[in-house]
Amino acid sequence: MRDPAPPPFEIPDIITYAVPGFVLLIILEMIYVRAAGKGRYQAADSASSLMMGLGNQIMGILVGFVAIAAYLWVSQYRLFDLGWTWPVMLACFFAEDLAYYWFHRIAHERRWFWASHVVHHSSQHYNLTTALRQTWTGVLGFSFIFWLPLVYIGFPPAMVFMFSAISLVYQFWIHTEAIGRMGPLEWVMNTPSHHRVHHAINARYLDANYAGVLIIWDRMFGSFVPEDDKEKPRYGIVSQLGTFNPFRIAFHEWAGIFRDVRQAKNLREVLGYMFGPPGWSPDGSRKTSASIKREWAEAQQHGAAIVAE
Amino acid sequence: MSAMDLYTTAGSAIVVVLLVLVAWAMGFRKAAQLDADTLARELAAAEPRGRLADAVFSADGRSAIARLADGKLLTARVMADGVSLRILPAGAAKLSLRDGNAIVAFADIGYPPLSLKLKEEAPAWLKALAGEQT
Repeated sequence: MRDPAPPPFEIPDIITYAVPGFVLLIILEMIYVRAAGKGRYQAADSASSLMMGLGNQIMGILVGFVAIAAYLWVSQYRLFDLGWTWPVMLACFFAEDLAYYWFHRIAHERRWFWASHVVHHSSQHYNLTTALRQTWTGVLGFSFIFWLPLVYIGFPPAMVFMFSAISLVYQFWIHTEAIGRMGPLEWVMNTPSHHRVHHAINARYLDANYAGVLIIWDRMFGSFVPEDDKEKPRYGIVSQLGTFNPFRIAFHEWAGIFRDVRQAKNLREVLGYMFGPPGWSPDGSRKTSASIKREWAEAQQHGAAIVAE
Repeated sequence: MSAMDLYTTAGSAIVVVLLVLVAWAMGFRKAAQLDADTLARELAAAEPRGRLADAVFSADGRSAIARLADGKLLTARVMADGVSLRILPAGAAKLSLRDGNAIVAFADIGYPPLSLKLKEEAPAWLKALAGEQT
């Protein structure tokens, strides 16, 4: 067994240490929303978001070892022995953020991973409690595989975990309507404005801005959409949930996959229902992001043609 | 699960309760009400080309069933201060009328059955929609 390079310092439990800050910022945001009338809070919605966060924490304790074991196993076959040096840490930061981008993009584009990630998008509100509305099934759905290439290259697993945790903490504060635009930071960083677009279900905003920390990946891979002040984001998912029940929120898409696969007529349909885009159906009768955007684009063109006449 | 895990989980649970109490105490408990205008507005946002043909509202204003001009079924329910819509082909959900209630059951567990206490007798279109599936 080739043990990965141990960290030269004790890595703190970054997320646990951040929790007091989360609580403080949530209360400050509530005060701001109440005072300024900008943004929305609702106790029932926040309760379900926070319950999802609590469940995510419990699932991490119960099954998180699966991801750790996978990292350590892959690390045995690593290509290079990258140690804990500053250049390696800098490279790991960028590599982790790129891995997050592709995880996040595929989590929106493939139903298997969407079944876990949909939880985070299922609130019709967009505030700091939405940031904590997290999946219970991420590890069981093998979401961690997107970071395994980093370990295979040779980044120490603990370093990858550390930057994943830093990314998660970073992404907390961008779930707010209290902050508008942030000047030049908008060019490079993922900001509240960029992430509002990501959470929006308006056709023009669908499947955009998958960034974790740096928005540069969206700009590079063609998924960047800026927030348009003329079109206020509507939040949630295309088929809005009708419940605040955490168990229904956690498992509704998995139940949908199970229901569809049970009714599938052949292997193509099984694979389509499991790994096709969310909304995929054999006859194309259901809506996908692509079909919604296509309809919207056609409607825009039609409207423009009428105006031109 | 270690003792530390138990403590942090218990601590998180307490924080969840406290934050919800703070939200509640700050007055974030407004509930939406459904009426024809709200329903039309919600439909326009969700499905710009959708046109309401007929609609019934529950006596408490918390849910509605409508038929769209293209024959699709629309259901709406109040979700705290928001509204959650479902638009689906007639027949894709199970609609029944019982004891002055209209009940719509969905295959999706993310949208529990909707039960509307009707203000008055079910209109003919709703009876027809329910009857078509029985």
